[in-house]
Amino acid sequence: MRELADFAVEYAAKLGAEYAEVRFQSDLENVYVVKNGNPEFAGFVRHRGLGVRLLVKGGLGFTSVNQLDRDLVEKRVREAIRMAKASTRVMKKPICLSPEKVIEEEWEVKPKNPFEDVSVEEKMGLLFDIDKAVASPEETGVSIPYRLIQLSELNTEKYLVNSEGTAISSRIPRVLFVALLTGHEKGRGTEQEIIEKGEGRGWEAVEEWKLIDHARERAKTLGKILKTAGKAPRGKLDMVLGNQVVGLIVHESVGHPYEADRIFGREAAQAGESFITRDMVGRRIGSEVVTVVDDPTLKNSYGYYLYDDEGVPARRRFLMKEGVINEFLHNRETAAEMGVSSNAAARSSAFNREPIIRMANTFMLPGDQAFDELVEGVQLGVYMKTFGEWNIDDRRYNMRFVGRECYLIKKGELKGMIRRPILEVTTPGFYGSVDALDKSLTFEGATCGKGDPAQGMPVWHGGPNARLRGVGLGGRE
Amino acid sequence: MMGIKEVSSFIVDNGLRLGADEVAAIAAHITSRQVRFANNEVTVTKTWDTTSADILLKKDRRVLIASTTDVSEEGIRNTLKGLIRTVKVMKTHKNYAPLPEGPFQYRSIPNLYDERIPKLGEKNIDYVEAAINSALEGGTVRVAGTLLTTDSESALATSRNVDGTRKKTTINMVVRCLANGEASGMGITCGTGLGEFNPEKAGREAGRLARMSLNPISGKSGKYDVVLSRPASAVIFDIIAGMDSAFNVDSGQSCLAERIGKKIASDELAIHDDPRAAGGLGSTPFDDEGYPTGRTTIIEKGTLRSYLHNSFTSEKYKAESTANAGWIAPHAWNVIVEEGKLKEAELLESVKEGLYVNNITYLRFQDYRRGDFSAVIRDGVFRIEKGELTKPVRGLRLSDNLLHILRNITALSKEPEQIFHWWMEWGTPSIKTPMVLSSDVGFTVPTK
Repeated sequence: MRELADFAVEYAAKLGAEYAEVRFQSDLENVYVVKNGNPEFAGFVRHRGLGVRLLVKGGLGFTSVNQLDRDLVEKRVREAIRMAKASTRVMKKPICLSPEKVIEEEWEVKPKNPFEDVSVEEKMGLLFDIDKAVASPEETGVSIPYRLIQLSELNTEKYLVNSEGTAISSRIPRVLFVALLTGHEKGRGTEQEIIEKGEGRGWEAVEEWKLIDHARERAKTLGKILKTAGKAPRGKLDMVLGNQVVGLIVHESVGHPYEADRIFGREAAQAGESFITRDMVGRRIGSEVVTVVDDPTLKNSYGYYLYDDEGVPARRRFLMKEGVINEFLHNRETAAEMGVSSNAAARSSAFNREPIIRMANTFMLPGDQAFDELVEGVQLGVYMKTFGEWNIDDRRYNMRFVGRECYLIKKGELKGMIRRPILEVTTPGFYGSVDALDKSLTFEGATCGKGDPAQGMPVWHGGPNARLRGVGLGGRE
Repeated sequence: MMGIKEVSSFIVDNGLRLGADEVAAIAAHITSRQVRFANNEVTVTKTWDTTSADILLKKDRRVLIASTTDVSEEGIRNTLKGLIRTVKVMKTHKNYAPLPEGPFQYRSIPNLYDERIPKLGEKNIDYVEAAINSALEGGTVRVAGTLLTTDSESALATSRNVDGTRKKTTINMVVRCLANGEASGMGITCGTGLGEFNPEKAGREAGRLARMSLNPISGKSGKYDVVLSRPASAVIFDIIAGMDSAFNVDSGQSCLAERIGKKIASDELAIHDDPRAAGGLGSTPFDDEGYPTGRTTIIEKGTLRSYLHNSFTSEKYKAESTANAGWIAPHAWNVIVEEGKLKEAELLESVKEGLYVNNITYLRFQDYRRGDFSAVIRDGVFRIEKGELTKPVRGLRLSDNLLHILRNITALSKEPEQIFHWWMEWGTPSIKTPMVLSSDVGFTVPTK
């Protein structure tokens, strides 16, 4: 396999590629699904192959094969070279890559408890126990007639080699848990809860999640929402947003619009562009309490890596520093365009996908207050602890988050639950309204979508609890 | 290397030899080629050469599946051994059903393979150039998009005497034009052959809408009569088709649950899944279990007639399979929304005051079961006044309930078109849809 990857680099160079990069990637995934107490299926995904990316006269080509056959590699590399060359007639200037250090390295995340050492009975048994815990109205106080529970474990191995001499091998385990629970209460309709957890380590992560207790608690909360939540207030008031909500908001409205390929328009036809322009570095966009970073090097994180898929060493990126736009997420192409070095944001979801700019673990840095202090400072407001529906426009300027577990705040105290308050706000409007953060910091695992063909990428997003002043709350009629 | 027919037979034979009760295998070879472009220039060209195998294995009423790109004899044997080891410790499936007993006769479907498509080569670059140039004809815009061609052959074999092969080509182009930041437009051309493929038309449409979208007014929240253009309608009907899968009904991901035989839409609406449609992007002579495909009525005169089933879900619902397997989750192949009585211009003329929405993106549910959602609208959003598109509108968000929108459909246009684009996130391969007019639809704006 390594020999074939090395050969592909040499062959592309021989045919005139000024740069060639080959990645062998193997993804071994096991998936277990229980639906409404029924073992729907268990499944294996065994995907592996070579992805070749090359530059010819400034034209960028990509090809992939999964039959590890030398003749086939030659055939597809020849085609990639021909098409990359042909594409230059519809280009204004050649694509360049930023100069980066040559790296020869091997890295690995070693699980304490490898997935292979845990029996399938135990894994399926866990899902059945979770289903049992949430299906019992005696335990949760609510009827949850629909329950879809899924666990997937993935071992990824990569070997990246390029024509500049970089050669990096890596190995990492990842695990993801997702559950969709639909609660029902007569006369009050339905309410849904999605539980999602992901980490970049072995079965020890699942053990620490304590999923049975966690799911039971979330189910109980669903019941309380259905039985007790009152009407959400509307109009201009203060808000406290929970860690989960803050995490998603920074992912969507700082992470994505700071991706330099979006800023330069490369994703315009699909995911979209950005309201941020290349000349906005240094401009204030939020209050001084807000600093947002993206950091692939957080241990155990779902978005963990030490070198990106262009072989650039990973580091923490300060996207927004004390309310000021600080840096964008770059690959080697956008870094060259801006005259800076890449900050290692090029990621690829599989052997047959080109590396594109992606987040890793995006979060707001915590503040220095206690949660109670945030609440004490609010005369009339809403605490949105978790979210349900959300979306954001393709320039990442106009966003909306509908609350799931939410409480009214009156005279500095949390009162009863309210149902589905709606925060619909512009990005500068949001970051300009944050006035205080608490000391907590939690993360959620998620799969971020981008690219064409789509690439689902493991990420974390997170943050502290945050207080907003004077935002307008809407609400569904 | 084995051919795909040999691979599927090899899997079935070896699966049975290892002790499985039933085995199904789909082996496929697909060559895909893509040209992506942005800012009026090509950004990357891609070619994928993929041979893969999907495996369904059942033993003692237990169910396992696998997907592998290692289709060597050794790789397949290893995958099968892993499945057999695992199946022994699984629990039994509550809605277990055997695979259908063949052999079946599969009638061919016209216009699914165009032998010119795999040979296009650098001609793909010419198509992209033509789309860009057409988009630029009426004035300066930035043009982005994707051209994708596929050439695929797949073979299904099961341990119940099923043996089928199918071949298909596709060519899809999406063109999006942008001007002055917020103004945008989109055009689409797609099909299984070059006959209807028209990159110039897609480019021209995207450019026209982007230029019309310049200098927008800020939208006001409220209820509007809304004309959903074909790309926008396709997003709505993609979700309806996805929610009609009995798997999604059963997992809380559908507002169509418990509504069979009930009125869920206006009398004007009729939707079918027609996998035998000539030239359909998703057309197929057989489903993943081997049943010969046929037309399934989903909605007829506003009444929900059927869910989409495979053997497992049909067992649970005591219904016949609709030949929509998906081994685990049934899915639509090729959705057809019946055309209405009005020409496009007549449909617009019928709106005194309303909104025109060309594309819907980022549609997300607060509650799948109820159908409450919101979505971002883009690529051509205009006020309609006295039947004419007047001012472009910015900043509005579609915020309503899926069933409410279906119930309030008052008219559909003639001339449905086959649509496929990136924001059809529920995975229906193709939606053939006309324009749709729905009344009293909710829109919201940001508060700060």
